[in-house]
Amino acid sequence: MKKNLLTKMGTLVISGALIASSLAGCGAKADSSDSASAETTITEEETATADAAEETSEATEDATEDTAKVYRTLDEIKESGTINIGVFSDKSPFGYVDENGEYAGYDVYFAEKIGEDLGVDINYVSTEAANRIEYLQTGKVDIILANFTVTEERAQEVDFALPYMNVALGVVSPSDKVVESLDDVTADDQIIVISGTTAETYLEKNYPDIKLQKYDAYAEAKTAFENGNGVAWANDNTEVIAFSLENEGYTVGIPSLGDADTIAPAVTKGNETLLTWLNDEIETIGNDNFFHKDYEATLLDTYGADYENTLVVEGGKAE
Amino acid sequence: MDLNVLKSYIPLYNEALLLTVKIGFIGILTAFAIGLSGAWAIYFKIPVVKKVLTIYIELFRNTPLLVQLFFIYFALPKLGLKISAELCGILGLGLIGGAYMIETFRSGLESIDKVQSESALSLGMTEGQVFFDIILPQAFSVSMPGIMANVIFLLKETSVFSTISLMDLMFTAKDLIGMYAKTIECLFLLVVYYLIMLLPVSILGSIIERRVRYAEFGD
Repeated sequence: MKKNLLTKMGTLVISGALIASSLAGCGAKADSSDSASAETTITEEETATADAAEETSEATEDATEDTAKVYRTLDEIKESGTINIGVFSDKSPFGYVDENGEYAGYDVYFAEKIGEDLGVDINYVSTEAANRIEYLQTGKVDIILANFTVTEERAQEVDFALPYMNVALGVVSPSDKVVESLDDVTADDQIIVISGTTAETYLEKNYPDIKLQKYDAYAEAKTAFENGNGVAWANDNTEVIAFSLENEGYTVGIPSLGDADTIAPAVTKGNETLLTWLNDEIETIGNDNFFHKDYEATLLDTYGADYENTLVVEGGKAE
Repeated sequence: MDLNVLKSYIPLYNEALLLTVKIGFIGILTAFAIGLSGAWAIYFKIPVVKKVLTIYIELFRNTPLLVQLFFIYFALPKLGLKISAELCGILGLGLIGGAYMIETFRSGLESIDKVQSESALSLGMTEGQVFFDIILPQAFSVSMPGIMANVIFLLKETSVFSTISLMDLMFTAKDLIGMYAKTIECLFLLVVYYLIMLLPVSILGSIIERRVRYAEFGD
């Protein structure tokens, strides 16, 4: 019995030591790579990939060569015959699973086109808002097509292609108690957001006093909002407008909040070949007004024709 | 790994740790109370109550905590019963823990030979004295390893709380990764904080176990 206690104490000490040493080790690692980049004249991009390699694998020694790339190039995707595309499975009408169990929506319509033009099968990978960057950085998907708003912070972690939709933030609340300004939100009120979305980041940054109630997934946030767990729900305005149109008794009190942003496909940082192909693709299909067709096929039922020109970005040219 | 990032995240993790420990502690106490009274009812074969408890145990031991939380947090409000996220977490943990604790205590109680209670009764002790002075202390000693295992299991189960918007350790890490994509730092802190929470529990458990089982083993 005494021995048992001693072993546990030992584990505590050893894990403490491990933690301390790994902290120290990481500090040292970062230092050495910094000094290396100062001495030799590696371009910024190369150090970035070297850093990424350092994070994802232990093969840091030969960081000069790009041995630890996690992404697949365009040729590798074509060769394998399948492309992995990360989409939402619960965000109607952009990316969702319909009643037949098939993926559908504005993002998926575009994904189908990508698969067709690349000549490969599509393997849809269901993502949540908070793990979109993760999935790209670990190579679990080749492209994220999950209503991914372009922001500076995200652009440091992944590469965005040309945009295909406009978006801003919006706030929806019950019609009998509409929130028309965020200044009306008192200290006792909670606003529902989804973890890892631009709405969350925006509110954390600009309204640090507002209490946020965070959820993992769209479905849960929706249910919680319907149950009256928060005074309002902040999200992409496309999403909150769709919600208020589909559910009676809800009004979008703040239709546009923060900067106007765009939504674009994203690939793993450094995946030049795939990025270039995507950009060309978006420009080319823009000539046939592809995204207007996409809108009419997937979004028209929800938003009506009024929003078509405000939402759709054709040929990658946002205003 | 960026040390400054680590430092800036520590206050958030502290907050999450506090919440996790708070809900874990109250939840475990609830589980303990349910376990002890439930095991008592089953041990004395109290009619009806025993049947109800058996159903309760099977229901909660054979469904994941995640499903139970979903039900309590998302489905009950539709039926008109609204519970705050924290209370829901405590309730979920208490109920699933209670089911496990009953079984653990019961195994302890049943391990004590019937001869002991018969002897004690024949010496003129009351039923209450027999249970609280003779059976329970021994049963407790036998159940101790199982109880500690349950406590650690319950504390780790708090990691599914993100579903009901509770900012526990796991959700804080996931949330920060989603916002700032500092994956390595966040996951590293997550492991460290779980160890900070659970290793002392484990050590304390060993000490308590040793104290309680003194009669069984001597020194």
